[in-house]
Amino acid sequence: MNATEHSSDHRVTTLESRFGLLVAARLSEGTEQLPHDVNERLRHARQVALAAHRQTASAVHVNAAAAGYSSAATLSFGGSRGKSWWTSLAALVPLAALLVGLGMIEHFHLQEQIAAAAEVDTALLSDDLPPEAYSDPGFVEYLKTSRE
Amino acid sequence: MASEQELSAFLKSVEKRAFKRAVFAVRDEDAALDVVQDAMIKLAENYADRPAAELPPLFQRILSNATMDWFRRQKVRGALFRNFSDFEPAGGDEDFDILEVLEAFAGEASAESASDVVSRGQVFALIESQIADLPTRQREAFLLRYWEELDVSETALAMGCSEGSVKTHCSRAVHALAKALNAKGITL
Repeated sequence: MNATEHSSDHRVTTLESRFGLLVAARLSEGTEQLPHDVNERLRHARQVALAAHRQTASAVHVNAAAAGYSSAATLSFGGSRGKSWWTSLAALVPLAALLVGLGMIEHFHLQEQIAAAAEVDTALLSDDLPPEAYSDPGFVEYLKTSRE
Repeated sequence: MASEQELSAFLKSVEKRAFKRAVFAVRDEDAALDVVQDAMIKLAENYADRPAAELPPLFQRILSNATMDWFRRQKVRGALFRNFSDFEPAGGDEDFDILEVLEAFAGEASAESASDVVSRGQVFALIESQIADLPTRQREAFLLRYWEELDVSETALAMGCSEGSVKTHCSRAVHALAKALNAKGITL
Protein backbone atom coordinates (compact mmCIF):
# COMPACT_ATOMS: atom_id res chain seq x y z
CA MET A 1 0.00 0.00 0.00
CA ASN A 2 1.54 3.30 -1.03
CA ALA A 3 1.34 6.56 0.88
CA THR A 4 -1.46 7.99 -1.28
CA GLU A 5 -3.73 4.99 -0.68
CA HIS A 6 -2.97 5.06 3.03
CA SER A 7 -3.76 8.75 3.18
CA SER A 8 -7.01 8.20 1.28
CA ASP A 9 -8.06 5.38 3.63
CA HIS A 10 -7.29 7.55 6.62
CA ARG A 11 -9.37 10.37 5.16
CA VAL A 12 -12.32 8.05 4.56
CA THR A 13 -12.08 6.69 8.09
CA THR A 14 -11.95 10.20 9.51
CA LEU A 15 -14.95 11.32 7.49
CA GLU A 16 -16.88 8.19 8.46
CA SER A 17 -16.14 8.76 12.13
CA ARG A 18 -17.13 12.40 11.90
CA PHE A 19 -20.38 11.54 10.16
CA GLY A 20 -21.10 8.81 12.68
CA LEU A 21 -20.57 11.18 15.58
CA LEU A 22 -22.79 13.81 13.98
CA VAL A 23 -25.61 11.33 13.54
CA ALA A 24 -25.09 10.08 17.10
CA ALA A 25 -25.26 13.65 18.40
CA ARG A 26 -28.57 14.16 16.63
CA LEU A 27 -29.84 10.90 18.02
CA SER A 28 -28.83 11.92 21.53
CA GLU A 29 -30.63 15.24 21.21
CA GLY A 30 -33.84 13.50 20.20
CA THR A 31 -33.53 10.75 22.77
CA GLU A 32 -33.27 13.20 25.64
CA GLN A 33 -36.93 14.03 25.18
CA LEU A 34 -38.54 10.66 25.70
CA PRO A 35 -42.19 10.52 26.80
CA HIS A 36 -42.79 10.77 30.53
CA ASP A 37 -44.20 7.24 30.84
CA VAL A 38 -41.11 5.79 29.15
CA ASN A 39 -38.84 7.72 31.51
CA GLU A 40 -40.85 6.44 34.47
CA ARG A 41 -40.64 2.86 33.30
CA LEU A 42 -36.91 3.20 32.79
CA ARG A 43 -36.58 4.60 36.30
CA HIS A 44 -38.62 1.68 37.63
CA ALA A 45 -36.43 -0.79 35.72
CA ARG A 46 -33.34 0.83 37.20
CA GLN A 47 -34.75 0.56 40.71
CA VAL A 48 -35.63 -3.12 40.22
CA ALA A 49 -32.09 -3.76 39.01
CA LEU A 50 -30.62 -1.93 42.00
CA ALA A 51 -32.82 -3.94 44.36
CA ALA A 52 -31.51 -7.11 42.71
CA HIS A 53 -27.99 -5.78 43.19
CA ARG A 54 -28.70 -5.14 46.88
CA GLN A 55 -30.04 -8.68 47.31
CA THR A 56 -27.03 -10.18 45.60
CA ALA A 57 -24.67 -8.07 47.69
CA SER A 58 -26.44 -8.98 50.96
CA ALA A 59 -26.36 -12.68 49.99
CA VAL A 60 -22.62 -12.39 49.48
CA HIS A 61 -22.29 -10.73 52.90
CA VAL A 62 -24.40 -13.44 54.56
CA ASN A 63 -22.28 -16.16 52.97
CA ALA A 64 -19.12 -14.40 54.05
CA ALA A 65 -20.48 -13.99 57.58
CA ALA A 66 -21.51 -17.65 57.69
CA ALA A 67 -18.05 -18.67 56.55
CA GLY A 68 -16.56 -16.48 59.29
CA TYR A 69 -18.86 -17.95 61.95
CA SER A 70 -17.97 -21.45 60.85
CA SER A 71 -14.28 -20.66 61.04
CA ALA A 72 -14.69 -19.18 64.52
CA ALA A 73 -16.63 -22.21 65.73
CA THR A 74 -14.00 -24.51 64.34
CA LEU A 75 -11.24 -22.59 66.01
CA SER A 76 -13.00 -22.70 69.37
CA PHE A 77 -13.07 -26.50 69.17
CA GLY A 78 -9.38 -26.69 68.42
CA GLY A 79 -9.26 -25.95 64.71
CA SER A 80 -10.19 -27.99 61.71
CA ARG A 81 -7.95 -30.86 62.84
CA GLY A 82 -9.86 -31.19 66.14
CA LYS A 83 -13.16 -31.07 64.32
CA SER A 84 -12.19 -33.88 61.97
CA TRP A 85 -10.90 -35.95 64.91
CA TRP A 86 -14.22 -35.75 66.71
CA THR A 87 -16.07 -36.45 63.50
CA SER A 88 -13.94 -39.51 62.83
CA LEU A 89 -14.47 -40.70 66.38
CA ALA A 90 -18.22 -40.34 66.07
CA ALA A 91 -18.13 -42.30 62.82
CA LEU A 92 -16.24 -45.12 64.60
CA VAL A 93 -18.88 -45.61 67.33
CA PRO A 94 -21.29 -47.73 65.24
CA LEU A 95 -18.38 -49.82 63.94
CA ALA A 96 -17.17 -50.45 67.49
CA ALA A 97 -20.70 -51.43 68.57
CA LEU A 98 -20.89 -53.89 65.69
CA LEU A 99 -17.55 -55.47 66.60
CA VAL A 100 -18.55 -55.80 70.27
CA GLY A 101 -21.85 -57.42 69.23
CA LEU A 102 -20.10 -59.92 66.96
CA GLY A 103 -17.63 -60.76 69.75
CA MET A 104 -20.46 -61.40 72.18
CA ILE A 105 -22.27 -63.64 69.70
CA GLU A 106 -19.06 -65.60 69.08
CA HIS A 107 -18.48 -65.98 72.83
CA PHE A 108 -22.04 -67.15 73.45
CA HIS A 109 -21.81 -69.67 70.61
CA LEU A 110 -18.52 -71.04 71.95
CA GLN A 111 -19.97 -71.41 75.43
CA GLU A 112 -22.88 -73.38 74.01
CA GLN A 113 -20.52 -75.70 72.10
CA ILE A 114 -18.46 -76.27 75.25
CA ALA A 115 -21.57 -77.00 77.29
CA ALA A 116 -22.84 -79.49 74.68
CA ALA A 117 -19.47 -81.25 74.51
CA ALA A 118 -19.29 -81.39 78.29
CA GLU A 119 -22.73 -82.92 78.42
CA VAL A 120 -21.75 -85.66 75.96
CA ASP A 121 -18.50 -86.29 77.82
CA THR A 122 -20.33 -86.52 81.13
CA ALA A 123 -22.82 -88.98 79.70
CA LEU A 124 -20.02 -91.15 78.30
CA LEU A 125 -17.96 -91.07 81.44
CA SER A 126 -20.85 -91.74 83.76
CA ASP A 127 -22.10 -94.72 81.69
CA ASP A 128 -21.29 -98.36 82.77
CA LEU A 129 -19.84 -99.03 79.37
CA PRO A 130 -16.21 -97.87 79.04
CA PRO A 131 -15.59 -95.32 76.25
CA GLU A 132 -13.02 -97.62 74.65
CA ALA A 133 -15.85 -100.01 73.78
CA TYR A 134 -17.04 -97.59 71.08
CA SER A 135 -13.76 -97.98 69.25
CA ASP A 136 -14.15 -101.76 69.11
CA PRO A 137 -15.45 -102.86 65.64
CA GLY A 138 -17.25 -105.86 67.03
CA PHE A 139 -19.18 -103.81 69.55
CA VAL A 140 -20.11 -101.24 66.85
CA GLU A 141 -21.38 -104.08 64.65
CA TYR A 142 -23.36 -105.40 67.59
CA LEU A 143 -24.95 -102.02 68.11
CA LYS A 144 -25.94 -101.81 64.43
CA THR A 145 -27.52 -105.27 64.31
CA SER A 146 -29.31 -104.83 67.63
CA ARG A 147 -30.85 -101.55 66.32
CA GLU A 148 -32.14 -103.33 63.23
CA MET B 1 -16.58 -4.15 42.44
CA ALA B 2 -19.01 -1.45 41.32
CA SER B 3 -20.82 0.19 44.22
CA GLU B 4 -24.57 0.70 44.16
CA GLN B 5 -24.05 4.39 43.41
CA GLU B 6 -21.75 3.59 40.51
CA LEU B 7 -24.18 1.04 39.15
CA SER B 8 -27.08 3.45 39.51
CA ALA B 9 -25.18 6.24 37.77
CA PHE B 10 -24.13 3.91 34.99
CA LEU B 11 -27.65 2.59 34.40
CA LYS B 12 -29.04 6.10 34.42
CA SER B 13 -26.46 7.21 31.86
CA VAL B 14 -27.26 4.39 29.41
CA GLU B 15 -30.94 3.69 29.94
CA LYS B 16 -32.34 6.02 27.29
CA ARG B 17 -29.92 4.94 24.61
CA ALA B 18 -30.46 1.33 25.60
CA PHE B 19 -34.19 1.83 25.24
CA LYS B 20 -33.76 3.32 21.77
CA ARG B 21 -31.43 0.53 20.72
CA ALA B 22 -34.01 -2.00 21.86
CA VAL B 23 -36.77 -0.13 20.03
CA PHE B 24 -34.72 -0.18 16.84
CA ALA B 25 -34.38 -3.94 17.21
CA VAL B 26 -37.79 -5.08 18.44
CA ARG B 27 -39.84 -2.15 17.04
CA ASP B 28 -42.16 -2.09 20.02
CA GLU B 29 -41.77 0.29 22.97
CA ASP B 30 -43.27 -2.00 25.62
CA ALA B 31 -41.16 -4.93 24.50
CA ALA B 32 -38.10 -2.67 24.38
CA LEU B 33 -38.70 -1.57 27.96
CA ASP B 34 -38.96 -5.22 29.04
CA VAL B 35 -35.72 -6.01 27.23
CA VAL B 36 -33.92 -3.09 28.90
CA GLN B 37 -35.22 -4.09 32.33
CA ASP B 38 -34.08 -7.70 31.79
CA ALA B 39 -30.65 -6.48 30.76
CA MET B 40 -30.37 -4.17 33.77
CA ILE B 41 -31.37 -6.94 36.19
CA LYS B 42 -28.94 -9.42 34.64
CA LEU B 43 -26.13 -6.92 34.89
CA ALA B 44 -26.97 -6.14 38.51
CA GLU B 45 -27.34 -9.79 39.53
CA ASN B 46 -24.48 -11.38 37.64
CA TYR B 47 -21.85 -8.74 36.99
CA ALA B 48 -22.12 -6.35 39.92
CA ASP B 49 -18.78 -7.63 41.17
CA ARG B 50 -17.02 -6.25 38.09
CA PRO B 51 -15.25 -2.89 38.20
CA ALA B 52 -17.34 0.06 37.03
CA ALA B 53 -15.08 0.54 33.99
CA GLU B 54 -16.04 -2.89 32.63
CA LEU B 55 -19.76 -2.26 32.80
CA PRO B 56 -20.36 -0.47 29.43
CA PRO B 57 -19.30 -3.27 27.04
CA LEU B 58 -20.78 -5.89 29.39
CA PHE B 59 -24.13 -4.12 29.48
CA GLN B 60 -24.22 -3.72 25.70
CA ARG B 61 -23.52 -7.42 25.30
CA ILE B 62 -26.21 -8.30 27.81
CA LEU B 63 -28.66 -5.97 26.07
CA SER B 64 -27.94 -7.64 22.73
CA ASN B 65 -28.47 -11.07 24.31
CA ALA B 66 -31.68 -9.91 26.00
CA THR B 67 -32.92 -8.68 22.63
CA MET B 68 -32.10 -12.04 21.06
CA ASP B 69 -33.91 -13.79 23.91
CA TRP B 70 -36.94 -11.64 23.20
CA PHE B 71 -36.90 -12.70 19.56
CA ARG B 72 -36.55 -16.32 20.58
CA ARG B 73 -39.50 -15.99 22.91
CA GLN B 74 -41.54 -14.39 20.18
CA LYS B 75 -40.54 -17.14 17.76
CA VAL B 76 -39.93 -14.54 15.12
CA ARG B 77 -36.21 -14.75 15.11
CA GLY B 78 -36.23 -14.78 11.35
CA ALA B 79 -37.41 -11.18 11.41
CA LEU B 80 -34.14 -10.19 13.02
CA PHE B 81 -32.27 -11.24 9.93
CA ARG B 82 -34.86 -10.20 7.42
CA ASN B 83 -32.56 -7.77 5.70
CA PHE B 84 -29.98 -9.76 3.85
CA SER B 85 -28.44 -6.68 2.28
CA ASP B 86 -26.07 -6.89 5.25
CA PHE B 87 -24.05 -9.29 3.16
CA GLU B 88 -24.05 -7.12 0.07
CA PRO B 89 -21.69 -4.29 -0.80
CA ALA B 90 -22.90 -0.94 0.44
CA GLY B 91 -22.44 1.06 -2.72
CA GLY B 92 -24.88 0.04 -5.43
CA ASP B 93 -24.90 2.78 -8.02
CA GLU B 94 -21.87 4.02 -9.85
CA ASP B 95 -22.80 7.70 -9.73
CA PHE B 96 -22.90 7.90 -5.97
CA ASP B 97 -19.71 9.33 -4.46
CA ILE B 98 -19.66 8.59 -0.75
CA LEU B 99 -16.64 10.81 -0.11
CA GLU B 100 -18.38 13.77 -1.64
CA VAL B 101 -21.44 13.17 0.50
CA LEU B 102 -19.46 12.64 3.70
CA GLU B 103 -17.42 15.76 3.05
CA ALA B 104 -20.63 17.68 2.48
CA PHE B 105 -22.00 16.47 5.82
CA ALA B 106 -18.72 17.34 7.53
CA GLY B 107 -18.69 20.81 6.00
CA GLU B 108 -22.24 21.54 7.00
CA ALA B 109 -21.81 20.46 10.56
CA SER B 110 -20.48 23.78 11.72
CA ALA B 111 -22.68 25.78 9.40
CA GLU B 112 -26.36 26.52 9.65
CA SER B 113 -28.53 23.98 11.38
CA ALA B 114 -30.97 21.91 9.40
CA SER B 115 -33.87 23.37 11.34
CA ASP B 116 -34.42 26.07 8.69
CA VAL B 117 -35.34 23.37 6.19
CA VAL B 118 -36.90 20.66 8.29
CA SER B 119 -37.65 20.90 11.97
CA ARG B 120 -35.28 19.21 14.39
CA GLY B 121 -37.95 16.75 15.35
CA GLN B 122 -38.47 15.74 11.78
CA VAL B 123 -34.75 15.35 11.20
CA PHE B 124 -34.54 13.19 14.30
CA ALA B 125 -37.46 11.09 13.13
CA LEU B 126 -35.86 10.63 9.71
CA ILE B 127 -32.51 9.69 11.20
CA GLU B 128 -34.26 7.23 13.52
CA SER B 129 -36.13 5.75 10.62
CA GLN B 130 -32.98 5.32 8.54
CA ILE B 131 -31.14 3.75 11.44
CA ALA B 132 -34.04 1.41 12.09
CA ASP B 133 -33.88 0.35 8.45
CA LEU B 134 -30.22 -0.62 8.65
CA PRO B 135 -29.39 -4.32 8.75
CA THR B 136 -29.22 -5.52 12.34
CA ARG B 137 -25.47 -6.03 12.62
CA GLN B 138 -24.68 -2.76 10.87
CA ARG B 139 -27.07 -0.91 13.18
CA GLU B 140 -25.58 -2.55 16.27
CA ALA B 141 -22.04 -1.73 15.21
CA PHE B 142 -22.91 1.85 14.30
CA LEU B 143 -24.76 2.56 17.53
CA LEU B 144 -22.15 0.93 19.75
CA ARG B 145 -19.24 2.70 18.07
CA TYR B 146 -20.64 6.18 17.62
CA TRP B 147 -23.52 6.46 20.06
CA GLU B 148 -22.24 4.40 22.97
CA GLU B 149 -18.72 5.54 22.07
CA LEU B 150 -17.19 2.13 22.62
CA ASP B 151 -13.89 1.57 20.87
CA VAL B 152 -13.51 -1.08 18.17
CA SER B 153 -12.35 -3.82 20.54
CA GLU B 154 -15.13 -3.12 23.06
CA THR B 155 -17.68 -3.12 20.25
CA ALA B 156 -16.29 -6.43 19.00
CA LEU B 157 -16.60 -7.83 22.52
CA ALA B 158 -20.16 -6.57 22.88
CA MET B 159 -21.18 -7.93 19.48
CA GLY B 160 -19.26 -11.18 19.80
CA CYS B 161 -17.41 -10.72 16.53
CA SER B 162 -13.98 -9.70 15.25
CA GLU B 163 -12.70 -6.13 15.17
CA GLY B 164 -12.49 -6.35 11.38
CA SER B 165 -16.20 -7.19 11.22
CA VAL B 166 -16.97 -4.19 13.42
CA LYS B 167 -15.09 -1.87 11.06
CA THR B 168 -16.83 -3.34 8.04
CA HIS B 169 -20.29 -3.09 9.62
CA CYS B 170 -19.63 0.49 10.75
CA SER B 171 -18.36 1.58 7.38
CA ARG B 172 -21.33 0.06 5.58
CA ALA B 173 -23.74 1.62 8.04
CA VAL B 174 -22.17 5.06 7.58
CA HIS B 175 -22.31 4.76 3.81
CA ALA B 176 -25.92 3.59 3.85
CA LEU B 177 -26.98 6.38 6.23
CA ALA B 178 -25.09 9.08 4.34
CA LYS B 179 -26.63 7.97 1.10
CA ALA B 180 -30.14 7.79 2.54
CA LEU B 181 -29.95 11.15 4.34
CA ASN B 182 -28.41 12.80 1.31
CA ALA B 183 -31.22 11.46 -0.86
CA LYS B 184 -33.77 13.01 1.49
CA GLY B 185 -31.94 16.32 1.55
CA ILE B 186 -31.10 16.06 5.25
CA THR B 187 -28.10 17.93 6.57
CA LEU B 188 -26.68 17.47 10.03
